[in-house]
Amino acid sequence: MQHDIPVPALGPQGEVMAHAVDACVHCGFCLPACPTYALLGDEMDSPRGRIVLMKEVLEGTLPLADAAPHLDRCLGCQACVTACPSGVPYGELITSFRGWSEPQRERSPLDRAKRAGILKILPAPKVFSVAARVGQYAKPLAPLLPAALRAPLDLLPERVPAMQPQPPVTPARGKRRGRVAFLAGCAQQALTPNFNAATLRVLARNSIEVVLPEGQGCCGAAALHTGAREEALRLVRQNLTAFDPGEYDAILSNAAGCGAGLKEYPVVLHGLPDEGQAQAFAAKVQDISEYLAGLLRAGELEPFLPTPRPLTVAYHDACHLAHAQGVRAAPRELLRAIPGVTVVEVPEGNLCCGSAGTYNLEQPELANELGVRKARNILSTTPDLIASGNIGCHTQIGSHTRRQGSRVPVLHTVEVLDLAYRGEL
Amino acid sequence: MTPRKTALTPGSRAPKPRSGGTPDNPLAAELTRSLGPQKVLSNLSERRNYRYDAIQFGATPLAVVLPESTADVVTAVRAARAAGVPIVGRGAASGLSGGAVPMQTGLVISFTRMIRLEVFPERREARAQAGVVTLSVTEAARPYGLIYPPDPASFRTSTVGGNLGENAGGPLCFKYGVTGDYVRALEFVDADGEVHELTRDAYDLAGLLIGSEGTLGLITEATLRLTPPPKYTRTLLASFAEVGECAEAVSRAIATGAVPAKLEFMDAACVSAVEDYLALGLPRDAGAVLLVDTDGDDLDTVEEERALVEAACREAGGTVRRAATDAEAAALWQARRSVSPALGRIRPQRMNEDIVVPRSALPEVVREIRALGDASGLPVVQFGHIGDGNLHPNILYDPRRESPEAVHDLAHRIALVAIRHGGVLSGEHGIGTMKRPFMREAVDPVTLGALRDVKRALDPAGRLNPGKILPDEEGETHAHP
Repeated sequence: MQHDIPVPALGPQGEVMAHAVDACVHCGFCLPACPTYALLGDEMDSPRGRIVLMKEVLEGTLPLADAAPHLDRCLGCQACVTACPSGVPYGELITSFRGWSEPQRERSPLDRAKRAGILKILPAPKVFSVAARVGQYAKPLAPLLPAALRAPLDLLPERVPAMQPQPPVTPARGKRRGRVAFLAGCAQQALTPNFNAATLRVLARNSIEVVLPEGQGCCGAAALHTGAREEALRLVRQNLTAFDPGEYDAILSNAAGCGAGLKEYPVVLHGLPDEGQAQAFAAKVQDISEYLAGLLRAGELEPFLPTPRPLTVAYHDACHLAHAQGVRAAPRELLRAIPGVTVVEVPEGNLCCGSAGTYNLEQPELANELGVRKARNILSTTPDLIASGNIGCHTQIGSHTRRQGSRVPVLHTVEVLDLAYRGEL
Repeated sequence: MTPRKTALTPGSRAPKPRSGGTPDNPLAAELTRSLGPQKVLSNLSERRNYRYDAIQFGATPLAVVLPESTADVVTAVRAARAAGVPIVGRGAASGLSGGAVPMQTGLVISFTRMIRLEVFPERREARAQAGVVTLSVTEAARPYGLIYPPDPASFRTSTVGGNLGENAGGPLCFKYGVTGDYVRALEFVDADGEVHELTRDAYDLAGLLIGSEGTLGLITEATLRLTPPPKYTRTLLASFAEVGECAEAVSRAIATGAVPAKLEFMDAACVSAVEDYLALGLPRDAGAVLLVDTDGDDLDTVEEERALVEAACREAGGTVRRAATDAEAAALWQARRSVSPALGRIRPQRMNEDIVVPRSALPEVVREIRALGDASGLPVVQFGHIGDGNLHPNILYDPRRESPEAVHDLAHRIALVAIRHGGVLSGEHGIGTMKRPFMREAVDPVTLGALRDVKRALDPAGRLNPGKILPDEEGETHAHP
């Protein structure tokens, strides 16, 4: 698309944004992939529409405040990136744009406080854990509260589990075949501690030593995707210091959102002195399913025990795994490697579940509608269990399938593998 | 008759966000008053997004209406008539000739929320509102053993209404025909806001509306013919050293009596662009590739037709690869579908031709266009439904580096090649704004006069999608006020 974006004035992130706008030929192939377009049926709430809006705000011909409501409704799911034949890096565009525009946004004090609160609480496991426990007791009051406060409570499980210890080094079982670094994640430690426990067990069983490097923090994705660029830069640099890519075969994450965030570091630091360091780091980052599927393809994965009865597993593609990282085959291959498991595809599988980082808290109505639709689609496959590779999807799908009266368990892919190893599936 | 199934088309029951602020012009204010703020877009950020299609940008409308019923369309048309402003209908705006682009300030009616779809399997019919996404007609019909064949490349995005406006085709059109061939009845709203129901009897007024690009009326609903899908399909890919050889293979194959379902070609630049996107292992060193489907209910005939096409390809100097699996065949067709947008990887803008020439002239025409492209210094790529003689030569350019005049001049010369060989200006994309300047050369003055009479009969005030199809009359600077 032709544009007059004043690139030099915008700096390195301006280059990132202008490149994305350049690549868009406004063909509209992205429209059917977009969840908000599917719900609202209007051009401004489609990827093509948002690219035009961002272009015009950057060109200075459209006030930011006019475009903002439509840009805020974007889930950042990047389904449009998968659908785009012209190769528009939409994710890089919206992330950079949010970072550029946030300092210019006029927000109410309440809104500001809410956003600051989210960004303080989400990335700090201990604080989150306390908040979750308080929230758990406040849950019965939810119907009396305004929507903004009700949404986070709705997402909390009935019981917040106890935190589990995470050893700094988990030794390989038997002869060590590899050594990986692991990003422990934030909110997920408090809400679903078993994700990490299962990950460590599965890796150890495959003779991989796992290190949780000291000094690591939040991946920064939540800050980055809500436009808190300075905060994101701080977290990115903290992790670049903590993880030395030369020391490990791979740097693993088991949360799709965090993994995508880690892989984005070179874009965040584009044009800055530590860009090269970020590239070396990002080259080593893999989702847990990619890494294990690598072992499987090499014939090196420990075999799973067969399930006692045939099991139908509905696999849900987390957007940040399928669209942002392009990881679709790996988790399916792993699940299919369990004797007795059949993996089924979910109708409208490419449509986001509505969780999308902090979206649930910022756009509760649209998030809820997508959650209802996702749960209905998944349950239409009559699965025995539901697997996914992201804490946000896990929470959203679990809460909506339960609300639709289902008791089908929702597990992380690696939890399914862990159960299969233990013969408990 | 009660429909058996209401399809799961996208949509939401949730209240749509309201257009914020106060409408800043009387038309937007009036429409907001009569239709409500959720169906009318009046903010600048909203209206700006209804001035483009997949090929160009036009004027920002005064207001945009997102109707949910034919009654809403009537209200909108009457308001625009009272305000004396033009009306442009719009589907998903994936069109490639400027058909949905407003050339003057006025009202845009976007049909994306009119998505009611009913399937009547006993009658082999579907009743679709204008905003129904094309592919979803087949998806809704498939459980009853039926499909809706028209398959433009954009069929995941484009709408039934838009396809009707442009009389869109697709790869299947060689054997199965284009959108208009599947229409049994239409409902449309005229320039005065009156609702009409048309069938194909007597004067085929429905046929007149189809392909009229919203210049004669606004199609709001259609009854579409469904067919059972063929039992067997076989796919092959042939590659040629040179684009003319590919055209020769097509002429030879059709001369043997084969009627493939699809006969599509892509030249080397298209293959490269698609490979950059999909990495399917297409032959990057070929001058052109031909993609062919033969289909039918009798496997022997299907295989026999494939053998005829294979032989023709080899005789013309090509090498042939059969798709071994359904997945491989699907990947090859995805490649073909992605050509158009994937060309954006070469240059950000393009001028998209849509000529049709007699099949006997194909080898000569594609070679002449190749030569014109080479001589111009601009990247020219060719692909299209070559079985129908429908070619899409595309001139790719970067407006910051290459002169739009040179691009327009080259497009004109390509159009003249088609006309010289007894061809026409548009196969499926419509005339729109892109080929309007060439209409005087393509259509004789008497016929052009008849087209103008038709337009005046149905739209005397010239309010419907002005600036499209018909060139300005001699001595006139604007087609309509």
